[in-house]
Amino acid sequence: MLDQIFATTQIGFPILSLLVFFPLAGAIVIWVLKSDDVIRLTGILVVGIEMSLTVWLLFVFKSHTAAMQFVEHVPWIPELGISYHLGIDGISVLFVGVTALLSLLAMLFSWDLEIDKTKVYVMGLLALQSTVMGILVSLDLILFFVFWELMLIPSYFLIKLWGTGNLRENAALKYVLYTLAGSVLMLVGIIILDLNYQDFALSQGMEPAHSFNLLTLLTTPMSLEKQLLVFFLLFFGFAAKAPIFPFHTWLADALVSGPVAVSVALAGIKLGTYGFLRFSIPLLPDASQVLIIPLSVLALFGIIYGAFVALAQSDLRRLLAFSSISHLGFVVLGLFALNFHGLQGGLLQMINLAFTTAGLFFIAGFLYSRGLQDDLTRYGGLIKPMPALGGFFIVMGLASVGFPGTNGFVGEFLILLGAFKTHWFFGAVGVLGVILGLAYILWYYERAMLAPPRETIIRDDQGVERATSTLKDLNPREWVIALSLTSMIFWIGLYPSPFFDMMDASVQAIADRVDPSKGVITLP
Amino acid sequence: MTSTLPPGFIFLFGALLIPLLQGQVRKTFVLLLPGVAFMDLLTMEHGTHWVASFLGQQLIFGQVDQWTMIFGYIFVINTFAGVLYSLHLEKPDEHVATFVYSGSSLGVVFAGDLLTLFIFWELMAFSSVYLILARRTQRAQESAFRYLLVHIFGGLALLGGVVVQITTTGSSVFHLMELEGLASWLIFIGFILNAAIPPLSAWLPDAYPEATVTGSVILSAFTTKTAVYVLARGFAGTELLIWAGVLMTLYGIVFAILENDMRRILAYSIINQVGFMITGIGIGTVMSLNGTAAHAFCHILYKALLFMSAGSVLYMTGKSKCTDLGGLYRTMPLTMLFGVIGAAAISAFPLTSGFTSKSLILQASGDEGLIVVWLMLVLASAGVFLHAGIKFPWFVFFAKDSGLRPKEPPMNMLLAMGFAAFMCIFLGVFPNVLYSILPYPVDYVPYTVDHVVSQMQILMFSALAFFLLLGPLQRTKTISLDTDWFYRRAGQGFKTFADKPIVVMENAIGGAYRSIVIKTTKKLSEWAFAFDRHVMDRVVNGVATMNNYGANSSAWIEKYVVYAGLNWTGYAYHIWARVLKILQTGMVHQYALIFIFGLFVLSVLVLFWVFVYGPPTGNIFR
Repeated sequence: MLDQIFATTQIGFPILSLLVFFPLAGAIVIWVLKSDDVIRLTGILVVGIEMSLTVWLLFVFKSHTAAMQFVEHVPWIPELGISYHLGIDGISVLFVGVTALLSLLAMLFSWDLEIDKTKVYVMGLLALQSTVMGILVSLDLILFFVFWELMLIPSYFLIKLWGTGNLRENAALKYVLYTLAGSVLMLVGIIILDLNYQDFALSQGMEPAHSFNLLTLLTTPMSLEKQLLVFFLLFFGFAAKAPIFPFHTWLADALVSGPVAVSVALAGIKLGTYGFLRFSIPLLPDASQVLIIPLSVLALFGIIYGAFVALAQSDLRRLLAFSSISHLGFVVLGLFALNFHGLQGGLLQMINLAFTTAGLFFIAGFLYSRGLQDDLTRYGGLIKPMPALGGFFIVMGLASVGFPGTNGFVGEFLILLGAFKTHWFFGAVGVLGVILGLAYILWYYERAMLAPPRETIIRDDQGVERATSTLKDLNPREWVIALSLTSMIFWIGLYPSPFFDMMDASVQAIADRVDPSKGVITLP
Repeated sequence: MTSTLPPGFIFLFGALLIPLLQGQVRKTFVLLLPGVAFMDLLTMEHGTHWVASFLGQQLIFGQVDQWTMIFGYIFVINTFAGVLYSLHLEKPDEHVATFVYSGSSLGVVFAGDLLTLFIFWELMAFSSVYLILARRTQRAQESAFRYLLVHIFGGLALLGGVVVQITTTGSSVFHLMELEGLASWLIFIGFILNAAIPPLSAWLPDAYPEATVTGSVILSAFTTKTAVYVLARGFAGTELLIWAGVLMTLYGIVFAILENDMRRILAYSIINQVGFMITGIGIGTVMSLNGTAAHAFCHILYKALLFMSAGSVLYMTGKSKCTDLGGLYRTMPLTMLFGVIGAAAISAFPLTSGFTSKSLILQASGDEGLIVVWLMLVLASAGVFLHAGIKFPWFVFFAKDSGLRPKEPPMNMLLAMGFAAFMCIFLGVFPNVLYSILPYPVDYVPYTVDHVVSQMQILMFSALAFFLLLGPLQRTKTISLDTDWFYRRAGQGFKTFADKPIVVMENAIGGAYRSIVIKTTKKLSEWAFAFDRHVMDRVVNGVATMNNYGANSSAWIEKYVVYAGLNWTGYAYHIWARVLKILQTGMVHQYALIFIFGLFVLSVLVLFWVFVYGPPTGNIFR
């Protein structure tokens, strides 16, 4: 059983609960507020405090250990072995940081957008943050599942009410149905895990006979057949959320139709692949081993497929959506190499994508808020009026496809290192995917930003016209957003050790679990 | 630790400061940077410096030996010449790109491990492309994009090789390799793509002539020569390279002779000259490797000089086709003089640098008994004189009078050309200065009667050939032509040769980016998108529609079966209620009558039961 360091001894108060429920409390306070300005200010204040708490957490977090930290454990439904059990380790700690940062930036981004019903919008964003935090810190599978489902509610309404375009209601519904369909199967998988524990506990004569506790389940042996069954059930839940080809068709619609802040959260925080790394791989190591080849093939197919479809896009946000599918292929390729480098690269790449993909969505948002339609290839030469925006665009674009010196290179390099260890062919196809990735980003950038201007007039919904040459470059608020993401990109790209220090021990623990030569857990 | 920074970093950090400076300060600064880097090189000691740890691998930023030093010197010298040549530029952007590009080239040269090498390799590709983009024409944009994609492909082949190398051996140290196994082949492909070895060469003549006037001077030096450097360190003695090099020398000439654009002639001649170096690497003896290093050193200078001279003409006239130019010696005598010196040097005239370096490679091939190679290289040397030595200066500065009367270019351009021209002659007159910094001890005397006489014979013979061919050549000038003029007018045999296999091949390779790679990729991406929209989406929508149908039919059943059933039941109750209602008169005595009648019937039934079955026994309510 993994060691646990309780929050009371580590920091003195239940910081994880605070992180989960503080935004929700903020949302409730906002409910009673009247003025829009006060609401925005409170919103920023709440995510700001949340961010400060997270930074505190990151400082107190102990590197070089695989132990669960800041643990809180209270029985919830003891008859069924369900408990309120929170904790983070090297796998989830960086996700918590990323979520806090992206929420802060998304709130900052929404600061002067002209939006209806500001109150509900801000409440929705805070609720979304709350549920995502809950997903990341839950160690009890039922608790995890509850947050997993709760997350749908704010995101559904945010897409439906503040999205753009006629298809937003469809998109919201599609997203919810997809995720629900997957998660129903996931719930069955979770229950089978519990039943297996029950069998095991009965055979050992232990009490209580039920458990949904991740740490307990990790010590429970399980036959390969059951592992495979559970793996498939969980797979549907995580693959639909990630999303992995062929479960991806909701993504493009949701990201294109949803408000930018939601696109940032959905595309930036890779919860589906987090689920693989947190639950599927450690809980079901033998099944993972058996499925290396099919999953890697699926991942490679996703990489190539997503990149090709991205190449055909003229709409920036749709391009980014398909590039996400391609990037997720890389993450899955790394994770299911099931060796240290692959897992490490897959995990780091998820964190990287939070900065690069989310950053690119912010860029798309900046352009959109300037009245540019999402098909930027019609205009050309946009770098002239907006050099700073163009600069950040290319930095984030290159980072997202793994240019040396940026965070993407570190992640992709490790993933390729892991994939080549599995089979040289996987690595080779992965490299091909990198080429295609560069092609779609550079080609789009060339057409939209560099090429000589083709169309110079922007028409907004009211029919008001303005010239592209009068577009304003980034304002200070946008500078803050772009600069903070870019500095993370270069920090990880040039000096990744602090991040590795935090996650390596936990990654090593998982790598040891799935290493067939070490044979840690499997009994019949 | 010899000095505080690797020389590449001086350029890279310096590049960051350039945009902050203005006017004279900036000009002084960009001229000082190469000086600082040169001092840095002078104080450097051999050995391994500046080791950092990254991703569990050692990054070695300074693997210093004789090889490193000679390439370091020439890169810094050429950066100085190139920056001096471009000093008149008002905007800082090209200078920044120049220093990032040459800084990353130095990074490659000093890299002691493959990962560091790869990182700078990619940085080179991305910084150099700016020098093409900065021309800001549609053609430049397009060729820059092709250039970038090709180099990304090469870079990723290299990355793949490095990753395989690390996974198989656990080490990424860069040392001499055998060409066997996946890792070394991938690395090899990455290297030879930058060396422009056919068929991976089409990017060079495609992109370099589209670069800015000042950019092409810089471009001509670094990418191919870093490739020569890494091939010499990693694959010296690989026999394949001998033949690849020989092919390059001849390939470059054929196209340089066919070409009409003066900068494109020079671009093809880079392929030809790098061919000599690649052959030297392939032979792999001390003599040939020395020759490669020396030839790279000299080539960078005279090729820069030639590009400066051609660039000055383009800068002053706006024209770059040989058929549009001519007779410029009248008003550009200095540019003409420097151009002729560059031409003499590339043709390896005695007393110029080309003579002292190229002969090392020829000698080495002869020493090894590679007669065919030697013969081909001699043939190629004659061809060099034909295109770069005579054709370029003749058609641009002499030949017919085009009527153009341009002035000499700005002073800084003239000074840069003068500097390069001086170096070409200096190294030709004092070859021992160069020989003393070569990677291995040199035991060779270039200026013997035999060497000088045989070289002059080759040169004079090809000069004779050129002027004999001039008749047919001159007639073609009236037609505005591009690559195809030669095979229309020249001898039938050569025509067939040039027409059929070679031009077809060149067109095929050059067009391959557009027609095969780009078009196929676009087609594939369109198909993939169509698949996603029409198949994936429709499957999902189909499932949704089926659900809809399911819901509708459930609703129908609900309405016409379940509800109808309920309704009929309800209706039946209703009818019964009506029937029974008849009984409900509301009169108490009638109810009492019915009650009594009922009791009477019940009593009769009980009596009847007792009569038939007998009285019940025991407790009947049990």
